[in-house]
Amino acid sequence: MQTPPTQLAHEADFTRFMRAYQDMVYSTAARLTGNPVQAEDIAQHVFLKAYENFDNLRGPEAGGWLKTVVRRTALNHLERYRKRWKFFSELRHEDAADDAPDFEIETPDTLLADLDTEESRARVERALQDLPDNYRVPLVLYHFEELSYEEIAAQLGASLSKVKTDIFRGRAAMAKNLT
Amino acid sequence: MQNDSEKLERLIDRTLRAQPPLRAPRGLETRVLNELARRAALPWWRKSFAHWPLAARALFVLASGVFIKLALTGVTWMSDAAAAPVASVQNKARIASSLVEVGAAVVHAIPPQWLYFGVAFGAAMYALLFGLGATAYRTLYK
Repeated sequence: MQTPPTQLAHEADFTRFMRAYQDMVYSTAARLTGNPVQAEDIAQHVFLKAYENFDNLRGPEAGGWLKTVVRRTALNHLERYRKRWKFFSELRHEDAADDAPDFEIETPDTLLADLDTEESRARVERALQDLPDNYRVPLVLYHFEELSYEEIAAQLGASLSKVKTDIFRGRAAMAKNLT
Repeated sequence: MQNDSEKLERLIDRTLRAQPPLRAPRGLETRVLNELARRAALPWWRKSFAHWPLAARALFVLASGVFIKLALTGVTWMSDAAAAPVASVQNKARIASSLVEVGAAVVHAIPPQWLYFGVAFGAAMYALLFGLGATAYRTLYK
């Protein structure tokens, strides 16, 4: 049986669409989960969902739609681990202050001399991937996904002070790894 | 302290934002297209309801309506059939309540000392049998 020409055009459009967005979708999933294999599964799931809604995704809003779906899918994927993480993290930060964490760190003036080299980029990705989930996830949501502290707290179902403390500790851990 | 925290935030922000997107694995596109092809090859009844032919969807809705009607009729029939046993249960409850009343009258007629003695005797026998059982277990199965 031959595939009709309109169907072929549709598939060619979708392939182009996928090529345009696959790095963005994969990056978001990989940085949130910290696991390349899980990230590939999540990216596949997101594109299959996109195919079902492809007729509504031909405008400029497609990128935003994909970002939202991949973020939600990755967070759902982390859900079962998140419960455990929240439990231990809440125990550790039970008496965390509202704004600033209660310990001091020495902030270096620079982290990596040249951020544009392949090696530096790989080091940053590795440092991010090595962070525990409870530091990495809010850090990625804040710095890459540009969510506010309040939005992150709402998405993770955690308190605002805990999110701020985890992000601060995540930054400190990254700085330590990169200096 | 606050300055240090802000400085750290700026530093990490600059570092992370300078990161380009990660490159998706080469096989991702093929994986997605293969999965789409596999799904397209599935027969219609294994796809989601929205992808069923119109006639099949109409038939399914009709069959669901008939099933609901049958279920409702069945429930009505069963509640009618259950009405007779309920009446019989009510009669039995009346008999049981009369027996309880007779029992209460008998208990009131017995002097309280006899009742206390009966309870104490029962407790003593229970303790004695429990003790005998425990001793026998320890002796025979140790």
